[in-house]
Amino acid sequence: MKASPDVGTFAGSVAERIRAWGVVGTVPRAIVAGLIVFAALFIVVIANPPDENGVGSWRTTNNGSAIDDPGSFVANLLDAATLAGWLFIVASGFSLIFGLMRVVNMAHGAFYVLGGYVAYEVQQRMTADTPGFIPGELVNTWEWLVPMAVAMICIGALGLVVQQGFLRWNQGQDLRQALITIAIAVIIADQVTAHFPRSGAFQVGGGNLATITWPGWTERRIDLHLAGVNYSLTRLVILALGLAVGVLLWLWLHRTRTGVIIRAGVDDRQMTSALGINIQRTFAIGFVVGSSLAAVGGTVGASQGGVTSGQDGLWLLYSLIVVIVGGMGSLLGAAAGSVLVALVLTFSASYLPSTGNPAGIECCTQYSITFTFVLIALVLAFRPQGLFGKAA
Amino acid sequence: MRKTAWDPKTVAERGLGLGAVVVALLGPVIFSAYFTSTVLTQTFIFGIAAASLIFLSAYGGMISLAQTALMGIAGYVIGNLVTKGGAGGETKGLVLGWDPTLALVLALVITTAVGLILGAVASRSFGIYFLMLTLTFGVIANYFFGQVTKLGGFSPIAGINQYTPPFVGDILGHPDKLYYIALGTSLVVYVVMRYLVRTPFGLSLQGLRDEPVRLGSLGYNVPLHRTLAFGFAAFVAALAGVLLVWWDGQIAPQNLGLGATIDLLIIAVIGGLGRLEGAWLGAFAFIVINNYVRDIQFPFASEKGVLPWVGGSFNTVIGVVFLVIVLVSPDGLMGIWNRMWDAVRRRGGPSQGVETREPAAEAGT
Amino acid sequence: MRLGRWKLLLPLALLVAFCTVATSGALATPAQSGEVRVAIMTDCKGGFGFAYELDIGGAQAAFSQWGGGKVTNKNKPSAGMTGIKAGGKRVNIVGYGCGDDTAPTALKETRRLMEQLNADVMVGPLSGDEAVAIANYAKTKPTKTFIIGTAGSQDPTMQIAPKNMFRYHGDGAQWNAGIGELAYKRLGWRNAAIIMDDYSFGWTSAAGMIADFCAVGGKITKRVFPPLNNADYAAFVRQLPAPDDVDGYFWAVGGNTPGSLTAFEQAYGKADPKQFIGNLFFAFLGNDKVVAPKFVGSYIGGFGTGPGLKTPQAKQYERAVTTRYPKLPVADGFVYNYYNAAWALVLGLNKSGGQVGAALQRAMPRTLKSGYEVSDGGNVRLDVRRQAIQDQYQLQLAKNADGTIGPQVVAYVPNVDQSFGGLFKPSSPPPGRSQPACKKQKTPWQGKLKAVKNGVITKTTIK
Repeated sequence: MKASPDVGTFAGSVAERIRAWGVVGTVPRAIVAGLIVFAALFIVVIANPPDENGVGSWRTTNNGSAIDDPGSFVANLLDAATLAGWLFIVASGFSLIFGLMRVVNMAHGAFYVLGGYVAYEVQQRMTADTPGFIPGELVNTWEWLVPMAVAMICIGALGLVVQQGFLRWNQGQDLRQALITIAIAVIIADQVTAHFPRSGAFQVGGGNLATITWPGWTERRIDLHLAGVNYSLTRLVILALGLAVGVLLWLWLHRTRTGVIIRAGVDDRQMTSALGINIQRTFAIGFVVGSSLAAVGGTVGASQGGVTSGQDGLWLLYSLIVVIVGGMGSLLGAAAGSVLVALVLTFSASYLPSTGNPAGIECCTQYSITFTFVLIALVLAFRPQGLFGKAA
Repeated sequence: MRKTAWDPKTVAERGLGLGAVVVALLGPVIFSAYFTSTVLTQTFIFGIAAASLIFLSAYGGMISLAQTALMGIAGYVIGNLVTKGGAGGETKGLVLGWDPTLALVLALVITTAVGLILGAVASRSFGIYFLMLTLTFGVIANYFFGQVTKLGGFSPIAGINQYTPPFVGDILGHPDKLYYIALGTSLVVYVVMRYLVRTPFGLSLQGLRDEPVRLGSLGYNVPLHRTLAFGFAAFVAALAGVLLVWWDGQIAPQNLGLGATIDLLIIAVIGGLGRLEGAWLGAFAFIVINNYVRDIQFPFASEKGVLPWVGGSFNTVIGVVFLVIVLVSPDGLMGIWNRMWDAVRRRGGPSQGVETREPAAEAGT
Repeated sequence: MRLGRWKLLLPLALLVAFCTVATSGALATPAQSGEVRVAIMTDCKGGFGFAYELDIGGAQAAFSQWGGGKVTNKNKPSAGMTGIKAGGKRVNIVGYGCGDDTAPTALKETRRLMEQLNADVMVGPLSGDEAVAIANYAKTKPTKTFIIGTAGSQDPTMQIAPKNMFRYHGDGAQWNAGIGELAYKRLGWRNAAIIMDDYSFGWTSAAGMIADFCAVGGKITKRVFPPLNNADYAAFVRQLPAPDDVDGYFWAVGGNTPGSLTAFEQAYGKADPKQFIGNLFFAFLGNDKVVAPKFVGSYIGGFGTGPGLKTPQAKQYERAVTTRYPKLPVADGFVYNYYNAAWALVLGLNKSGGQVGAALQRAMPRTLKSGYEVSDGGNVRLDVRRQAIQDQYQLQLAKNADGTIGPQVVAYVPNVDQSFGGLFKPSSPPPGRSQPACKKQKTPWQGKLKAVKNGVITKTTIK
């Protein structure tokens, strides 16, 4: 039976594929393509800044188009890139577990939050001689990296326990494993609320928000000599961290024996096992690495504004979205998904029309998250396996 | 193995089912007002919603996380259409003040239409992708009703159960009315579903659950079947949504949120994703646990509703209960029932091969 | 790994235990006559989950001070309280509600407390949307009485206003009364931008800032609405005008305040605290050890409390709380507002002779000698819709002597009412993205703000 082009192979020329889709298949795709082109043109050319009275119309965006205000455009591009780095760190772990073991680890968000709290506790103890506050200047790189490392180890260990205790013996039962991890997530979230932070006294409002300080040298903006943009060094560090994670993962997966086995396991689990390779040990390693990456993400999140126990659902959702959009099981997929989601989130927050008086009061940047999800739904509808995923 | 009418398991099931219905009919007499009006009515309402989920999963092979959102859409349509504004009236939503019967019809029609559209979009996705698409839809619906303040916003639209169609009457003053309506609707939904799966449509639906490619090559229009099944499930979810706003009197975006979606999934799983009866069983179990776990004093624990040594709050207890249920019986409570009968049939020994769905996957254990 | 027979016996045991629980709960516990049943509704999950012990502690401290209650565990208020008497009857705290800042959960908890546990009175809820849901529920249950804890939404006592619901503190807009005038007169702001979380709490909080600032002649040039569950505030802070282009920023963000402020600094460089005025979440910044030092000096909208105020009335309140629960932060709005609600209940029961229902609602005090009140003989007054008219205190983030960072009172705003002098009416829509509009008008407290120094209200009017 001929593989339906709906399944999304890139084979065949455009003309061939249009003929195979027919009208019903081509028209929606053409509309979507047209909308993407329009959106790009809108951002680059069509948009206007608000008029002299600060009133906005459907063409108005906060700063105008890329041509009106290139600095703003570049800043947004960098914001998207750095957010993509942050998303990638969290989602790559999820993608690894998902791709390797077909386990939807619904506790990934809970690992993120717990990782953030562990890092917070470690940094508090490391900087205990500066009571009260930890202004950035007094924190050095070591005092950020060690909390991150400890968080990675702790959450990795927790992941190992979860995987060996609850997931190992019911391989293949995807829904059951997803539900087990949901239950674990509920338990972890409640325990975190009950036991963190460990300062004992009642919290004076703001409750259990745990924030970590970035190393002091990152708290500056540097002149990029590009459209007059001064950009935050902290965010560039996040981007660098994301790239480092990506490179290290790539090296691990492609240049080490364990990594090659993992990739084989992602492609064909049964065959890999039939070749006599200890697939269970590989699964365990994969889960540990995936959980550790969640902890790294949690450390970054705690530094960027804090972690609270309510955030686990949000970060699980983001991980799911990134992985599904990018394609499960591949590093490239996680990267592509992160970039796409971050781009849409950031640019819709800046370049959706700002109507009303004053501009933006009625519409539309507050719908940025809704807009992003609508786009996700479109990707899922037309290309269910994601941008770089294999056909299911 | 063909079940004959004299098969003891079927007899037991039918007997227990009949018994349960009789007890339910006598509910307001036997049980306290709170138990009837809150626990049991909720059981019926969420049972209907879970039934729509289980129908899709058991007979269509599709696990949909959009049922909660569809319930919410029906609720929002009614809420926006029936409530009245003005002094002392409702300030949220469209407050059109239309006729409740018309609003009821529109709620069902609009939700089914949305379900058909979503089904059409999702009909070419399978497995985890279908799940994700429906989950995304749920999240979008949640944000939509929260942020489009004209349709409600984050504060609830309230006072909805003041305006009910004439054949329903006054449910604020007589909560037992809603109890019986919910019970009746549950029975009708159950019977219709059991009938539907034996029609040609239902049989082909089960066929494409098992072998979509084969069925497609036989000339069946697979996406169309799935779309129609999804539309039917949307209709059932709409019924649940209508009953929910009549019971609660209010609707807010959190009724469509991630928490509510996961709750419905938990209900379906506890009950058993493979059997329709699991819907109401799971709903009952979930609601009872949620309501009464705070009153349980565990030994060695510091206070009620809290686990010893570990601490936390009753949420940990609920998480643990759910974990135990999923670990012990992936088919939920109905699965335990099935296995009990298998064990009885084998005269005492617990069954061995029941949970292994994919033997090949066990090879590496 | 096989569990053998356990796979059958364990679920059977669970089923049996489960059925026992189910059936035992099904039979109603008959209410003991001669007892007043009270439920305390608060949040234990979600954005305000940290306030669980604070709310319960505040309410129970009042029950102890005015009702003779005995503390069970002075480090854990939710352990309970016994021996409360009011109006000659025993007062029994039947349960604590666990909300999560959303309406459906609040409704479920309310049903559990009022119908399953048969409470007669509710002290609570904590948050705005919850109060809207419960106010609508209250309309259907006229024999139950509801005394709001700390909810800041306007609707429950303006648009909905059921006869059995009372609020002894200001709403979210009232809390910010005077802050706009402070910005205009002390900081010289003439135009400002405002950023608020795009949901009811953000809108109500912002409404107070906007109404007050515009009333005195300021202009809001930009309103930014980051949606809820936004992980990255970068794009939204970029919508704000640059620090050179605007006099100041009103910050009505909720739980994500530290994250949004960090994003601001990453976008625009070091922040000048004098360009920021925050809502009550800035008061909590003292907990955030990273962001707080950067905003020392910022003015903060109030929460109905006057931390550090040196009046005898305030000291009596603080003593009442610290003797029962030594670790409870007395000047915290959660503690204070729940204390006042519970105290009002005790007074009402005393007057009604322990009767609940309509008799209690008639007997509920119309004035309350609240700890930080100065106007009207130190009394909070209820208006015709049972909403408090309350003095407000505007705060400033400052470094304390012990090195911690927390809010200090800097301005006193007398007699703030919910309508802001007619700007907010029952027929007007509740606060939203474009409500209120930026209009110049006279608020009842315009020109009457007094400076507060070291906990003493001076005679200096803020000009």
